[in-house]
Amino acid sequence: MPYAGIDIGSRTIELVVVDEKGEILQNLQADTGFDPMQEARQMVDGTAYDGIMATGYGRNLFELSFEAPTVTEIKAHARGALHFFPEARAVLDIGGQDSKAIALFDNGRVKKFEMNDRCAAGTGKFLEIMARSLGYDIEAFGREALLTEKDVNISSMCTVFAESEVTSLIAKGQDRREIARGLHASVIRRAVGMINRVSAAGEIVFTGGVAKNPCMQTMLRDKLGRPVLVPPDPQLVGALGAALLAAERKAEA
Amino acid sequence: MKERQKTMTPLMNDGYDGEPAKRVLSYMQAQKEQGRPIVGIYCGYAPIELIQAMGIVPAVLRAFSKVPIASAETVLPANICPLIKSSYGFILEGTCPFFAMSRAVIGETTCDGKKKMFELAAKVKPLHVMDLPQLADEPEARANWTAMIRKLQRFLEATFDCKASDQEIETAIQGTNRKNRLMRKCFDYAAMHPPLINWQEMYDLGFLALAATADHMTPILVAVLERLENRLSQGLYFSRADAPRVLVTGCPVGGDALKVFRIIESCGGIVVAPDACTGMKAFTGEIEEDTGDPIQALARRYLDIPCACMTPNGKRLSALSELIERFKPDAVVDFVLTACHAYNVESYKIGRHINDHHGLPYLKIESDYSDHDEGQIRTKIDALFEIAKN
Repeated sequence: MPYAGIDIGSRTIELVVVDEKGEILQNLQADTGFDPMQEARQMVDGTAYDGIMATGYGRNLFELSFEAPTVTEIKAHARGALHFFPEARAVLDIGGQDSKAIALFDNGRVKKFEMNDRCAAGTGKFLEIMARSLGYDIEAFGREALLTEKDVNISSMCTVFAESEVTSLIAKGQDRREIARGLHASVIRRAVGMINRVSAAGEIVFTGGVAKNPCMQTMLRDKLGRPVLVPPDPQLVGALGAALLAAERKAEA
Repeated sequence: MKERQKTMTPLMNDGYDGEPAKRVLSYMQAQKEQGRPIVGIYCGYAPIELIQAMGIVPAVLRAFSKVPIASAETVLPANICPLIKSSYGFILEGTCPFFAMSRAVIGETTCDGKKKMFELAAKVKPLHVMDLPQLADEPEARANWTAMIRKLQRFLEATFDCKASDQEIETAIQGTNRKNRLMRKCFDYAAMHPPLINWQEMYDLGFLALAATADHMTPILVAVLERLENRLSQGLYFSRADAPRVLVTGCPVGGDALKVFRIIESCGGIVVAPDACTGMKAFTGEIEEDTGDPIQALARRYLDIPCACMTPNGKRLSALSELIERFKPDAVVDFVLTACHAYNVESYKIGRHINDHHGLPYLKIESDYSDHDEGQIRTKIDALFEIAKN
């Protein structure tokens, strides 16, 4: 029997359907837009499943509209990460509007977590805005940043201040790739601190949309000095976790 | 559960349930009409017993609303704690009725932001600042704080033309002990499974009891205890039996900061132990009686308050352990007001203590009086409860 998980994030919505063995049968993605429930309905309407669980910042709205159980992004990402890497005991999820470091017990349950929710600092949104100010699309941003060894120090964590810092670096004739790498480094510094506060050693599973960025993957490995594991489609991990939890919930009932 | 709550008699049943500020305002107005002078206070370190013994009424000044913050920021920097900004904003706008009633205000040097704000507030109203020691366990601290309380006594004598004998102070001390014992009895009903008293009721009670005299509080608390006993015999309680029980420690929680209690509740949890000076902290411990030196007895009791403004503040860990033993929470939330460095830094130790000594999940929430972060707080609380259920 198929089970679905839907992750309603700030930037995108993912829907994943799994069979009872946890194999992914189907996945869909859409931009969240300004009417996330309308988007969610369209995705759900064309999909067959026996149970669905919602996660992401829109989960409570979904719960009301669809009478579905919910789970936090924290538990969902932990569950989804374990699907690919059962031995992992730590997860870093960097999404559109926040980032989370999660430590797991040996039984896979969440032990503790830390969440950055100050502002766009250290999130996908930060990278997106910075890419734009350098004239890169989001895919090229990470790729180009990897082509240089040097990074320029970006001292502002605030998105607004960092943007003006970038503007002044451009005006000084600073190399575009080096600025790009510097911007990646500033997000990494924050992520490394967060991971080290919840988990001291071992492998890290890197999830969320930002985990697709090759420069982020490389720099995280370098700065952390720990193995970084990236699932095949890191952006789907939250929805996958919710789908697996929906299946397990049914099995327990 | 909703049905049950509907049939419950409001705990204080005086028409002010859920509106503690209005209740206290009417109390203050009655005191004023009886010709008693009012002095404003900000913090749990203000020696209430001395003030009451002199026939003066202490009024806790407003500090928990986001509304006056914009006014405050015309003078104060934006990146300081919301409690300081709100307090000062109320003073600037003239919108705190308790401040308006007060002839003078007592402040303590609990933190840098406050003590510098007091310098500005002193331009509006006579403001007596007490130099609070920071190393409360040092022998000199008690001598210094005793001296500060005596100095306050002279300030109040000069400002209000009131006096208090040692015997009158002793009587006030014994009153507080009686009042606090009754308050702790009320809190016993929060220790039950499920609890028979909720955070709003404890907040209401504490709001009045903090500054009101034992004589005023005793009949109220006796009636409250009777209603709680009735709830017990009728099987009326709050929350589902399996709702996660939460101890909330950290900075004071009032007004717009109450969002943290509301979110805990809407995530399916129940606050069984609101620590902090707006909660149970003010009513713990006894002041030593019949010492022959009541001012020194007061100094000792107030320095026992486990506030993060003290260092190293080991008492907070033992006080938390006692609360955990008594109220059996499933999780601990540490509420830190934005830019409150003392509580913010101390949270590391608190988290370790809660995780390692008590094996309980711990969550720090750093927030202010705005409501922009409710979604994020909700996610954190939901995740905390997921961990608690493990």
